Parts: sequence; structure tokens; C-alpha cells
Amino acid sequence: MKVSKNLMVYLVLIIISAFFLLPVIWIVLSSFKAGTSLYKWPPELIPSQPSIENYIIAFKKGNFGLFFYNSFMVTILSTMVTLVINTMAGFALAKYKFKGRDLLLIGFISTLMIPLEVIMIPIFQVITKLNLYNTFVGIIVPPAATPTGLFLMRQYLLSVPDELLEAARIDGASEWRIFVKLILPISKPVLSVLTIFSFMWRWNDFLWPLIVISTPEKYTVQLAISNFVGQYNVDWNGLLAISVITMIPVLIVFLIFQKQFVKGMVTSGLKG
Amino acid sequence: MEHRIKQKKRKINIQRALAPYLFVFPNFIIFFIFVVIPAAYGLYFSFTNYDGLSEEEFVGITNYVKLFSDSDFWDTMLRTAIYSGIVVPTIYVFALGIAILLIKEIRFKGIFRAIIYWPTMISFIVVGVTWKWIFGDTFGIINYLMELGGQKGIPWLSESFYATLVVIVATLWSRIGFFMVIFISGLQSIPSEFYEAANIDGAKKWQMFTQITLPLLKPTSVMVIMLAIIDSFKAYPLIVSLTGGGPGRATTYLVQYIYRFGFEKNQLGYASAMSVILFLIILITTSIQFKVNKGGEI
Amino acid sequence: MAKKSLVVLLILALSIAMFSGCGKEETGENVSTGTDTSSQEGTTNDGNSNSADNEKEDVKLDILWFADGVETEAMQNVMDNYKVENPHVEFNMIEVAYSDLDSKLKTMIAGGTPPAIARVTNPGLLFDHAQDLSEFMGGYDTFTEQYMDSLEPYYTKDGGVYAVPMDVTANGLIYNKTLFDQAGVDVPGSPEEVWTWEEFEQAVIEVKENSDARYGLLWDVTSHRWSTLLYEFGGSIINEAGDGPAINNEQGVAAMNYFKKLHDTDVIPKSVWLGGENPNNLFRSGTAVAHLSGNWMLSNYRDITDFDWGVTYAPKQATRSSVPGGKYMMPFKNTGVEEEAMKFLEYFAKAENTGQYCSDSLFISPRLDNSELDYEYGKEMFAIFSNELANTPPAAAKDWSRQDIMPVVNPDITDAIKDVLMGEAEAQEALDKVAQLITETIEAQ
Repeated sequence: MKVSKNLMVYLVLIIISAFFLLPVIWIVLSSFKAGTSLYKWPPELIPSQPSIENYIIAFKKGNFGLFFYNSFMVTILSTMVTLVINTMAGFALAKYKFKGRDLLLIGFISTLMIPLEVIMIPIFQVITKLNLYNTFVGIIVPPAATPTGLFLMRQYLLSVPDELLEAARIDGASEWRIFVKLILPISKPVLSVLTIFSFMWRWNDFLWPLIVISTPEKYTVQLAISNFVGQYNVDWNGLLAISVITMIPVLIVFLIFQKQFVKGMVTSGLKG
Repeated sequence: MEHRIKQKKRKINIQRALAPYLFVFPNFIIFFIFVVIPAAYGLYFSFTNYDGLSEEEFVGITNYVKLFSDSDFWDTMLRTAIYSGIVVPTIYVFALGIAILLIKEIRFKGIFRAIIYWPTMISFIVVGVTWKWIFGDTFGIINYLMELGGQKGIPWLSESFYATLVVIVATLWSRIGFFMVIFISGLQSIPSEFYEAANIDGAKKWQMFTQITLPLLKPTSVMVIMLAIIDSFKAYPLIVSLTGGGPGRATTYLVQYIYRFGFEKNQLGYASAMSVILFLIILITTSIQFKVNKGGEI
Repeated sequence: MAKKSLVVLLILALSIAMFSGCGKEETGENVSTGTDTSSQEGTTNDGNSNSADNEKEDVKLDILWFADGVETEAMQNVMDNYKVENPHVEFNMIEVAYSDLDSKLKTMIAGGTPPAIARVTNPGLLFDHAQDLSEFMGGYDTFTEQYMDSLEPYYTKDGGVYAVPMDVTANGLIYNKTLFDQAGVDVPGSPEEVWTWEEFEQAVIEVKENSDARYGLLWDVTSHRWSTLLYEFGGSIINEAGDGPAINNEQGVAAMNYFKKLHDTDVIPKSVWLGGENPNNLFRSGTAVAHLSGNWMLSNYRDITDFDWGVTYAPKQATRSSVPGGKYMMPFKNTGVEEEAMKFLEYFAKAENTGQYCSDSLFISPRLDNSELDYEYGKEMFAIFSNELANTPPAAAKDWSRQDIMPVVNPDITDAIKDVLMGEAEAQEALDKVAQLITETIEAQ
């Protein structure tokens, strides 16, 4: 009985995984088809003459080593900022009662409801007035105050028992100490999640760099992708290759943090 | 001695009272400078005829009046609502379902999670490109496979119904992993003692699900639904790179519509008015959901 | 408590450091690797000039740019040559996708940091922010006389010159020779033999049925390209007097209905206008009969080796027609480097430099004295395009140079076409809506 039920589960999971995996596989396979063989009909499932020409085109089109470095640096720094400020704010909103709390929460979340595209120009005006135009700070700091991250932390910290905090206070701990010694350790699992999320958000940021950055030395990878789309023309060959390249770092980060995430779950003073 | 204790108590009380404000401050200041202020500008623009380049003139509520009789706008709003209405419940059900499967003791669950999560890490532009490459009327592999199977290919992207379908599928593909991870996190924070106790009481799987899992998952559920709704109303880069909003206007949703007015047609004032309406609608929807669920507090 | 104030201080300090804009990230990253526009010998911004010209301060010109093919390298050549005489100038080419050009440029201007120069297709919208070049270039007449007449409305206004024409484009017909040969169908060999639309339609159908072709005629998804058909049918967008719409007249409706017919009978595949399929990719696959596009595709299709292709005469209806288009280099005000920007544009505008740029990128030159450019590829094809332009009714240039109307109306024309193709509106209805918009736009002036 148990075996067949587990088998069912495995089967379902495999089918689901196929749905998620096959498109990526197809893109990867396609990226190894050079020139017009990409458009051959009938299409070859596996390229008969695989070539890395597309990747060479993609690398040539710009200084991709530098772009990757920029993207990495911006992503890592911004993630660090996010972890700190989102957790602090999430803690305040979850475990304190203070005036304006609910208003602030709704305010933060409502930020999410404003698509960046529609306030591009005012944002740009603010950026230039603050002298952040064409600076890395301009694409590290502003997006770091992620409303989703804040919401995530707040929801998670809601389930921290108040008794735990009270006990610590009675013991004479300061609020900051409670934050560092109690809250942070408890939040490890969700912090791992937030790290993964933040990495992904910042890595894929496109609009912020488009608005703020003007010199090629500071381009991030996503900006570089858009160079493959001209006024009349879409360079599929280069586009597919560069798309594949950009998917890899995020995957690696995920695989690394996945283990931490699972480990972290075993902790939690939440049980019981 | 008592006086000292009272002083210390007061100090602590002040500290406690100030703490939340200080904790919230960094997040708040960034949010204020880079979102509130530009949004305020945006609100101001909605009362002008700003074209993005030259001096703007104040025109009062002209834009809003025009908006109410703009049938194209309301058509777009309806289309967006339908898209959202299909995508959100589907994401919820699938993300939760998959999460439940993946917290069991299964080998390779790390790999499964990674595979399902990976698409969410791909930038929207690339997702759009990927699915366009797959479903494209001419080069798409799907039609080829269909023809192999003896079926005639479908003009996936040239007909409204199918184009909408493809957009929905691409959205699901690129978002389910994200919500699955959130659900996994939520599910795992439910103490297993609850399940053990219920087991002892002889509860069935389904009962455990509805009586224990769902209620305790409320904060997570609220968040998932809220984020999914907001996401779907803001959908833009994925759809534009997949269908360009086509065929015709079949997959043109609100943000694309607003963006066109703002940048292609140079009517930033009008576009701002539309943004305000969009914002209000999302705000009202999520506030209602929030209040009804008491903020997700258990 | 002390710890608390420390934290507060830290946060405050962090915030200040962040917002003072002197990020440590900036100083280390000024290595311009790989972008060969900036300098040949590593001259940096801080005055380490190694030329004899020691009085000139180092200047950096931001050029906002987009490209479809090889024109970026062609422009870089021009810039490199300019730097030989002007080593104090450094060029920073900011390349964006064409679809992002608008928003990037507008945010730059609105934010108070316009680029020194931008490559644009709709200069008319930006005149208020552009630097007037007329005096610098030796006077309005002296300058404009050197260029094609039809371009004048695009880059001038009220006696001022606000941009320098870079290249002229012409719409035209590219076809797949291999497929035509397979089917045994001929194309017109000279302007006298130009085919009518009926004849051309037949030819496409014949080629499609008697060769390996899978798709018929490809048509770019822009109202600019569609208007080729409109003019060939004897219609126009704006009336002759220039004070009202003409797009919804008899000829306009006829053109629209014919376009729909071509789609309904699969002479034109629906996947392009409706399915978002890219005509370039389709043509490259070698399975499409022809592509109604323009001369800018020549440098793009040049590397096709799987099949033979060429340019032939576009069909006529009431008349022949092409549609002119072009790109312009516009210098902006309030950049602090207006003078240097204009000097570079003056250099570019010289016959030999514009000519070199155009022949390298395989574009048509806007200068009257560049009519015999030595294209190292496709000379005969250019001759056909020039012939098309020469046989274009004046309405085409008159319409599209109306920078006060076309940018506003353009997207609506495209929408109208799509509505008709999808069967959601009748031709007359859809065109009436556009006409209404044109009237409103003119009235609002």
C-alpha cells in the first residue's frame, strides 16, 4: 500500500517537474543552434550541429565579465541591506503595538501596488536631485526596501509567542538584544527564503538600472540583454544564449541556500 | 532605591516605546523617498496635462472625467480582472498542493523544489521569450509536436482565446515556484504535535487538512493571495515580451495600457490618472481581504 | 541604552553615507574595458591628455544610441576619426533597445541630465529641448540646402535647425530568389515592368504553391510600413491642405480592406500582425516568399547563405510608392557641452563623413551630394530603393513629417489595422476613429 501511494506521489511530482523543466531544456538546446539553423523547419529537437557560436556572439556584444561582476555586486549588497531593514521593520510591525502601526503596514504594502513603470519619471527626478544618477548606490538602496520581504518577515514573526518576548524582558534584556539574540536566530529559515528571493529580485532588476545607469561600465546583465533587441530586429541567437547565461548564477545561489533553509527548519523554538 | 528602580523602569519603558519606531525607520525612509514622493508627484501629474517633456498645465479633474467614458480603459480593466481571477486561485491551489507533496519524506525533494522554483528566478523578459519560442505560430515546438501527433497546429498567438491561455500558462510557470516556497515555509512552521495529537484522536487526512493545516496557514494564505493579486494586476514585462499585448489588444492589460499612454503617446497626465485608479482598485481589494482575515493573525 | 544610541547613530550614519552619493563603489569601477568607443589610448577623464592640444579641457559626450545592424561600428569609426583631431573628446555611447529609447530619453530630460546627443526617429517632439544649430552650421539655408527637401520638416522649425539627418530609409520589397526560381516565377526587371497588386498577389500565391515556401508576403508591424499600401492606393493620412484627416476616405478604406483580404486568404500570414511573429526571423528561415520592409534590412540579411535573395520593385495600385523615413542626431540644451556636441555634428555632417557612415551601414544618405555612394555591397539594390523614393507621391513625406500629429496618431493607426484584421471592426469604422483623433489633435494645437 505504502509503496504504491508513494509511487503515485513520485509520478505526480515527475510530471509536474517535467512541465517546469522542459521549457528551460528547450531553450538551452536551442541556444546551441547557430545562425539560421535555429529557424529550420522541421525543428531539430537535438541540434545536429551543436555550436557555441551564439554564446560567442553574446559575449562579444559587450563586456559580459564586467556586467556579471556588476550584477553580482549590486545583488549581494542590496540583499544585505534588505535582510537588515526588512527584518527590523517586520519585527516592529509584528510584535509591537504602536501608533500608526497598521497604517504603516498598509502603506508599505501599498508600495507593491504601484508598478514602477508608471512612476518612472518622478523616480528619476528624485534620483537626480539626490545625486544618485549613474551610481551603484542608486540601484542598491532604493529597491532594497522590498515590501514583499517586509511582509514576509512580519507574517513569519507574527507567530513568535509573545510570552517569549515578555520572558526576555523580565530578564532585563533590551529591545535590541531581544532582536539580535532571540528574533534573528528564530528567523533563520525565513531569512534564507528572503535571501533567495532578494537575490532573484535584484538579479533580475531591469527598470531600476535602465533609469539610473547611463555608462556601459556600470551595466548590469539584464540591461545588456535588451541590447539584443533593435528597432526592427530581434537577434534570437544571441538572445537565447544570453538568457541561458543569466539563469545560471541564480540557480547556483538557490542550490546553496536550499540546504541552509532545510537545516534551519530543524531549529525553531516554536515547536510546542 | 525605589526611586532608582522607578527611573530604570521609566527608561526601559521609553526604550520600549521608541524601539518600534527605530526599527521601522530605515525601511520607512527609503520607502518614503523613493516611493511616496514619486507617487505624490504622480498624483500631482494626474491633475495636469503633463507630456513628460514640457511644462505642465493644471487641468483639474479633466483626466478623470475623460477616464470614466474611456471604454478602451474599462475593457482593459475587465481583461486584467479576468486574467487575475483565473491566475490567482490557480496559483494558490497548485502552489499549496505542490508544497504539501514536497514536505513529505521523499527522496530528491530538494531537486524537485529546485526544478519548480527555478523558473521564478528567470527574469520576466526571458520567460516571455521562452514561451514565445515554444508557442510561436511559426517556429514553436508545440505546433510541431502537434503535427507529429496528427493534429493541425493552432495559431496560439494569433487568436485572442489561445493567446490569453498561453499568457496564463506562462504566468503560472514563472510564479508557482515562488508561492510554493512560501507555503513550504508556512507549512513547516506548524508544529507536528498538532498532527500527532489529531492522529491519536483518529482524525482522517482530510480533516487534519481542513481543521489544522488551513487555519494555521492563514497568515501565509493571506500573504500569498494578496501578493498574487497585486502581481497579476501589475503584470507587464512577461506579457509584453510574450505577446506584445496582442493579438490586437487581447492580452493588453492595465500596466501596458498605462505605459503606452505615458511613453508612446506622451500623455503622462492621463496615464497618471489611470495609475491612480489602478492603485485605488488594488488598494481596496487588498484592504478588504486584509480586514476580513484580521491581518492574518491567528 | 548606550547600545541603543550606538545603533541609532549607526543607522543615521549609514543613511547619510548612502545618500551623499559618494559611494565607494564608484571610484573603483571607472575601468572602461571592452567598450571601444571611449578611447584608443586609455585617456581618462581627469585631464591626462597626451595630445598637443593642451588648452582644451577634456570633454565627455554622452550619445544615446540604438541600432539594428552594423551602424554602431560605422558610427564608432566616425568617432575614432574625429578623435584624431580632437583627442580631448571622449564619447560615451549609451546603447538601448529601440523600444526603450523613448522612456530613457524622457527620463533623462525630465531629470535634468539630457544626453549631449541622441539618435532619434521623431525629432519633432523634442525641438523644445534641442540646441539650435542653424548659426553654428553657417545659416539655415546654407545647411538645409545640402539635404533632401522632403526631410526638412523633420528637423527644422521656424528657421531653426534642431537635428542633423543621419540616414534616409525607404520602404521596399525584398524577395526570396531561390523560391521564385523554384516556382519559375519572374520579377519585374525594370521600372517599366512594375507589377500591379493583382499581379503581385498572383505571383506570391504561385510561388507559395510551387516551391518549398510556407509563408507568403511578410509585412512589418508598423503603421509606417502599412502606409506604403495606403499611398499605393492613392490615399493619404492627412489631407492635402494639411488641416484635416484623409485616412478614412474611399482610397483609405479600399487599402484597408485589401490588406484584410490578403490576410484572410493567407497571402500574408496572420502570425505576423496578430501573433507577434518577427518577419525578419521568418524571412531568414528561407520559407517566406517576400518581405515588405526597407533598405535597412540589407545589412542585416547580408549574411544569409542558405538561399538567394534580392530586391525588386514594389507593386503599384493607383500609383507606385515607397515611404521615406530617417534617423537624426539631435544635440540637447542644458548639457554643458553643447558647443562640443555641435562641433562633432558639424564634422559628421560633412559629405565625406556622412557618406562613409551611410555606405558602411548600408544606408541611403540624406545628403544631396551623396547620391552616388560606393556601397561595397548591394549597389543595384540601392538603385532600386532610390528609384522607389523618386516615385513616391509627395503625400508620403508630407504625412510623416507632421511631427505634431504623427507620433500621437501612429499607435492608433496600428490598433485600427489590427482591429480590422481581427474582425473586430469594419474598415470604415476603424478609420473613422483614427480620423477623429487626427481632427482632435489638430484642433488642440
